[in-house]
Amino acid sequence: MSVGSMLFYIFVFPGLLFLLVWTFFVFYFARKVLAYIHKRVGPHFNGPAGTLQTFYDIVKLLTKESITPKSADPYLFNIIPIITPLVAALPVILIPWTPLINNGHGILDTQYGVLGLVVLIGIEPFLLFLTGFGSDNKYSFLGGMRILAQMISMEAPFFLAALSPALLFGTMNLYDIMYSNTWLTALILLPGAIIFIIAMLGILEQPPFNIPDAEQEIVYGFYTEYSGTNYVLLKFAEFTEMLVVSAAAVTLFFGGYRGLFFDSFWCLFLKIALLALIMVVIRAANPRLRLDQMLKFCWSWLTPLAVLNLVWIIFAKIYILGV
Amino acid sequence: MEKIKEILNKYDTEYVEDYKTTWVKAKLKNREDLLKVVRDLMNEGVKTCSTVSPTDFIDENKIEVNYFLEDLFNKKNVWLKVDVPRELENCEIDSITPLIPSADWHELEAYSTYGVKFKGHPNLRYFLISRDYYGKFPFRKDFDWKKHEENLVENINAITEEYFEEYEEYESNNGHQGSKTVLNWGPTHPASGPIRLKVYIDGEKIEKVQPDIGYVWRALEHLAERKDFIGTIIAVERICFMDNPNPMICYSQAVEEIAGKEITPFAKYMRVILGETGRIASHLISLGGFFGTIGLHTFMMWCLDIREYFLDVLEDYSGARIATACIEPGGVRYPLEDPQKWFDSLERAMNKFEETKDDITDIFLKNPIMNTRAKGVGVFTIEDVEKYYLAGPIARASGAKIDVRIDEPYAGYDDLKMDYVTCENGDTRDRLFIIFKEIEQSIDLIKQALEKIKTGIESGEIDPKKDHLIRMPKRMPAGEAVTRVEWARGEMLMHLVTEEKATSPYRLKLKAPSVNHTMVLDKLLKGKSLSDIPLLYGSMHICQGDLDR
Repeated sequence: MSVGSMLFYIFVFPGLLFLLVWTFFVFYFARKVLAYIHKRVGPHFNGPAGTLQTFYDIVKLLTKESITPKSADPYLFNIIPIITPLVAALPVILIPWTPLINNGHGILDTQYGVLGLVVLIGIEPFLLFLTGFGSDNKYSFLGGMRILAQMISMEAPFFLAALSPALLFGTMNLYDIMYSNTWLTALILLPGAIIFIIAMLGILEQPPFNIPDAEQEIVYGFYTEYSGTNYVLLKFAEFTEMLVVSAAAVTLFFGGYRGLFFDSFWCLFLKIALLALIMVVIRAANPRLRLDQMLKFCWSWLTPLAVLNLVWIIFAKIYILGV
Repeated sequence: MEKIKEILNKYDTEYVEDYKTTWVKAKLKNREDLLKVVRDLMNEGVKTCSTVSPTDFIDENKIEVNYFLEDLFNKKNVWLKVDVPRELENCEIDSITPLIPSADWHELEAYSTYGVKFKGHPNLRYFLISRDYYGKFPFRKDFDWKKHEENLVENINAITEEYFEEYEEYESNNGHQGSKTVLNWGPTHPASGPIRLKVYIDGEKIEKVQPDIGYVWRALEHLAERKDFIGTIIAVERICFMDNPNPMICYSQAVEEIAGKEITPFAKYMRVILGETGRIASHLISLGGFFGTIGLHTFMMWCLDIREYFLDVLEDYSGARIATACIEPGGVRYPLEDPQKWFDSLERAMNKFEETKDDITDIFLKNPIMNTRAKGVGVFTIEDVEKYYLAGPIARASGAKIDVRIDEPYAGYDDLKMDYVTCENGDTRDRLFIIFKEIEQSIDLIKQALEKIKTGIESGEIDPKKDHLIRMPKRMPAGEAVTRVEWARGEMLMHLVTEEKATSPYRLKLKAPSVNHTMVLDKLLKGKSLSDIPLLYGSMHICQGDLDR
């Protein structure tokens, strides 16, 4: 790998610039779709049809003061917002984004792709817990406790569902999984995909599982004390994580960048945008669950179903695919 | 009624007389008798206290304490008066709270604003007013507001000091060990509004809730005394902006009763239409707010969309959307210059609701997650309704058949067909459904009243350009009146006292239902989880405007 291409990967695609553009896009997209369902207009004035609104918002936040509360631990409080987006962006190297880079493989082409994804996504919530812990605010702390409870329970079905394509195709290499997928296997993997998407909502704290930052209950959860640049960094981490998890779902279950007529990055992007649309519609039509109801749903329905799904995959592998 | 009179006649009274259709008015000579009378009345079924209202007669050197006691289900009400001396040392009376829990906060309010000490009250403390008014009793006629306001900085310092003291106390009581803490849920919390709930929690479990109110206390009752009879309208309508016309109807009726005037049929039906429009506008916010508390904002937006059309109706009539000031003593303020145009805008608003109704039912009222959250949670029984006087929609959600529009008809309601709208379970979900049902009922009432006006105009009995207002006397005779209306959140009671040849009210007591609904929050939330606070609090449809006045 030459230095030039390495710099390109880090700063342009699929690195910093791409992630920033994605953040701008998904923020705008979610606001506009939500506004349409709300019978509102949404972002309107800045740029054509309000497209520059997110850019303006972020610039505004960057110019504002980042306040560190007097009683909070200043090092912990200010370091976490820097580490969080880095950790959130790490899994990007594992995912095969486009046929043009590295012959269609991910930048890091490894036999442990699924494992890497799952582990790197799993680190994130502990960092967010630390933001709540370091803020010295009762509401932030409660948000941090809630995020731990939610992640510990949601990651079990998430990992089990992510294992199902690996089990079916006998490989953990994301490129191989993507190219082994056919219409038949996609159908076999469908229950796993649904469990993955539900667990994904929990991991990303999307409604109906937006319990850790429940505005009406605990103000803004672990975000409460953050402002200015720190807040932008945390939000950036959140959207990066959303991109990574959605891309993982598409790669594992829906054939990644492979399209009906041609293979391209835009096929992947379209599939991710569809997932984002589904998330926004769920957000627009469903209220929030209570913490204990979420735990009950997760451990008495989702996790057992994820285990059963593995049984179904083994059954299908032997009797339908006949491997 | 006869039995109640018999009971009252056993005691030493100045007079016992009938008042309106459902009230018995009596004045006790000895304040020592009060508890005995109340105990006897309770055996007769009068178990609820609507409010306690002291009146300061500074010339006669006495404070007259009015008790409004109600038998909710048999519609027998008692208006009991007792005199107490005005001197602070001697200004005391037995508390009825141990017998009737619904009097609790009303007695505290009377104590804080008038200095009437209630002996035997379980927790007599200053309440509602901020610290700079402690021990000064601002509603007494000899309280000097101007002098008080001169010390602005000192007053603010006193308030700040109180918060710091409270904070220190919590910290020393709880320490930093263990899972117990005190959360300030409000007044700057995203879902609270200007109220502070001191929530004592253990982890996520609630141990105790102490509401701290008074953040929007505007002393409206005192403001009314400074204005003339027309000007009082603006104090009255600011009780709560969401249901604007109904408080004005209540106040206007009290003035008309003292002046001895009867308004025209056209004004009566107009009051029905305006009142119900206000009720719908308020209920739409309640509906949306309910879902807002569990994190779904779509419904709020949809409700605001429908509400715009009903506000258009108010705007087309009065020129204002929120603070309309459209009802005044003697009728309604404006004539209908172009009746057909206004009727069309009413039709448009009602059609808008009818069009959206099915979508609302399918998407929101049948939402599975809402059902999981709200079904069977926070139940109030009919006994609770009687004990704490939960009013209006909250009571009707528990199956209690209470509705002032039927029990003591006012405006044009006695000519309209209507029935009690109730739900059975009394849980949080029913408190949502009842609101939806009441909107449907209101639309039906508007249609009936509209029909009456239309036939009246056709037959020539009603002239919408002239009949709206009758002449009211410039100066009122001495007298007092009690009127009630069914407000969007429950019974609203006003007690108006005037002097001979007066140009402004001598005393106006405003009773609004949110006080009782906030009083029961501790009982409602104890043992629930932190996530339930916004939902259950939102389901009580509390408005801080009418809580603090």
